[in-house]
Amino acid sequence: MERTKDRDAARLAMGEGWPVLGTTIVVGTTFGVVARQAGLEPLEIAAMSLLVFAGAAEFVMVRLFTEGAAAPLVIATVLFFNLRHLLMATSLRPHFMRFTLTRRLAAAFFVTDESFAMATRHFRRGGTSLAYYVTFAVALFVLWNLSTLAGIALGNTIGEPRRFGIDFAITATFIGIVVLAVRRPADVAVAVVAGAIAGALALAGASTIAVITAGALAPALALLARK
Amino acid sequence: MNWAAIVGSAVATYLTRSLPFALTMRPRLPAAASRYFEALPVAIIAALVGPAVVAPGGALTHGAEPLAAAAVVAMVVWRRSLLAGVIAGVAAVALLRLV
Repeated sequence: MERTKDRDAARLAMGEGWPVLGTTIVVGTTFGVVARQAGLEPLEIAAMSLLVFAGAAEFVMVRLFTEGAAAPLVIATVLFFNLRHLLMATSLRPHFMRFTLTRRLAAAFFVTDESFAMATRHFRRGGTSLAYYVTFAVALFVLWNLSTLAGIALGNTIGEPRRFGIDFAITATFIGIVVLAVRRPADVAVAVVAGAIAGALALAGASTIAVITAGALAPALALLARK
Repeated sequence: MNWAAIVGSAVATYLTRSLPFALTMRPRLPAAASRYFEALPVAIIAALVGPAVVAPGGALTHGAEPLAAAAVVAMVVWRRSLLAGVIAGVAAVALLRLV
């Protein structure tokens, strides 16, 4: 019974997740190409995707390396950039607490913007199986690393992915998840304000703290709203 | 030295992902806090969207992304389907960027 449920959840994860996974291949390949052109060693690039496994932060690291930034500055920047994972893991936490600490710590490694958003959608509609999260998150990890390797191998310019709008698939998925998650007018207010604060901060050049700041502030609106 | 930075960044990133899972205490939350945490997931996902729509690639959008975002919202509200929204969004942004 439990096993059938897990299998169904895993299939659902791939069925709903493929536009995001497909985009990940394009972005991962781009990352490998960009990092190689910036002069990083193939082993370093592969290690970044394998160990850090955080798309946006990895692009930032490449830029910092080319500017000759010292290790402490790189680490601090990555830390600030990824502080948003604290919020995501806090939000996912209730669904994971019935599993052993070892399993939770293993699952934690695969928390990304994408796996968080997909898992949230699944849990919000009443899904309980962890298989949905695990399937999607591990598939994302494998594809991200394989496409990074492909990018390293390509090494020189590939087509500009932005032109075909493929880069927008992840954003569109996130927008759809937010729309489908809305239950009350207050949810709309929280989402719009969070998006606006984060967008404004990114425009102001504070993109490292945009998501964590907006994500932490906007839910306060839910406290003002009448039930 | 890049390796120190890579390993350090990996550790820092893992800490941000694992700390909430590692803590085992289960605090009884007051009503206000649980309402805050209920709103948190939507806020985070919307916060991820904001910069990608307003400032794709770090510079102010020329308008393609906000219009495409509106198309996604309209499509998902209409069809209640994530995939329909993604297809509409990608098609819209590809066309609008040509303009």
